Amino acid sequence: MDNFRKIDIDQYDEDVLLESELYEPDPRDPAQVLDDVKQKVTAVRSSLAKGDITGALDLVLDNAPYGPNVDEAKNINLQTLLSILNSTKATEIPGVVKALSTDAQDTLMKYLYKGMAMPGWGDVSGSVLLGWHEKLTEAAGTGCIVRAMTDRRLV
Amino acid sequence: MSNVLRPYLAAVRSTLTAALTLEDFASQVVERHNKPEVEVGQSKEVLLNPLVISRNENERVLIEPSVNSIRLSIKIKQADEIERILCHKFTRFMMQRAESFVVLRRKPVKGYDISFLITNNHTDTMLKHKIVDFIIQFMEEVDKEISEMKLSLNARARVVAESYLSAFNS
Repeated sequence: MDNFRKIDIDQYDEDVLLESELYEPDPRDPAQVLDDVKQKVTAVRSSLAKGDITGALDLVLDNAPYGPNVDEAKNINLQTLLSILNSTKATEIPGVVKALSTDAQDTLMKYLYKGMAMPGWGDVSGSVLLGWHEKLTEAAGTGCIVRAMTDRRLV
Repeated sequence: MSNVLRPYLAAVRSTLTAALTLEDFASQVVERHNKPEVEVGQSKEVLLNPLVISRNENERVLIEPSVNSIRLSIKIKQADEIERILCHKFTRFMMQRAESFVVLRRKPVKGYDISFLITNNHTDTMLKHKIVDFIIQFMEEVDKEISEMKLSLNARARVVAESYLSAFNS
């Protein structure tokens, strides 16, 4: 009989803020996002084979999938990114990180935190991600972390 | 500081420094209230993305930022049963005296061993880099403390067992 007290009446407010209003949705269709990501996988492999790490990272971080309904695309993209991160030598990281654009650096930071949030998933390695995080913070500063924190477009 | 721990603590330090940009912010839901938004969680727009920094499954830090407060939770490394007991006793001891530590939270967040709640009042009255230093020092010390306690516990157990069993020796 007291159940009415537990109803969250704020959700019926007419100017209630919805999760979807916090950021611009991805204009692409979920199926198309998945297609794009899958195409990137092969492009990234050929860049990696040539030893072009910056190019490969640019490809992965450009137009990264975000928002709801694209979980598969997100996983594939993370997997691709991890394969790049894991195959890069520690001495090359500072140069690669500096060569990225600011947007790419922010997206990379988001992916680093996402990777660290799920230890043991796929080939996530804590020490590799921490190494990248340190170098990226050196190159891009704490502003990069703040942008990863405040951007609602979760990768 | 050992070399393996350094990148982990450096990542926590930089993330915490980035997250500790707090300001006074009155509740939007209840008039004339001012609460830590990360604890209330009623207005989505003032909560930022929670960040996790992890070395492996057993050692991680969760940082939940919001406009006027951040919550930092630590999962301390526990390799075996003894370390689990020691860690539990140790964190319990401190959390019972939470007000002496000012930023310590009385209960840990689920899935973590100990939590800190830093509000804009703390950053107003204390230096930001000192708060960060305190958290980092705590993380360094807690591992050391627990392994020391484990060693002395084992040493004591050995002495006790020897003196007890020596009665049956003659």
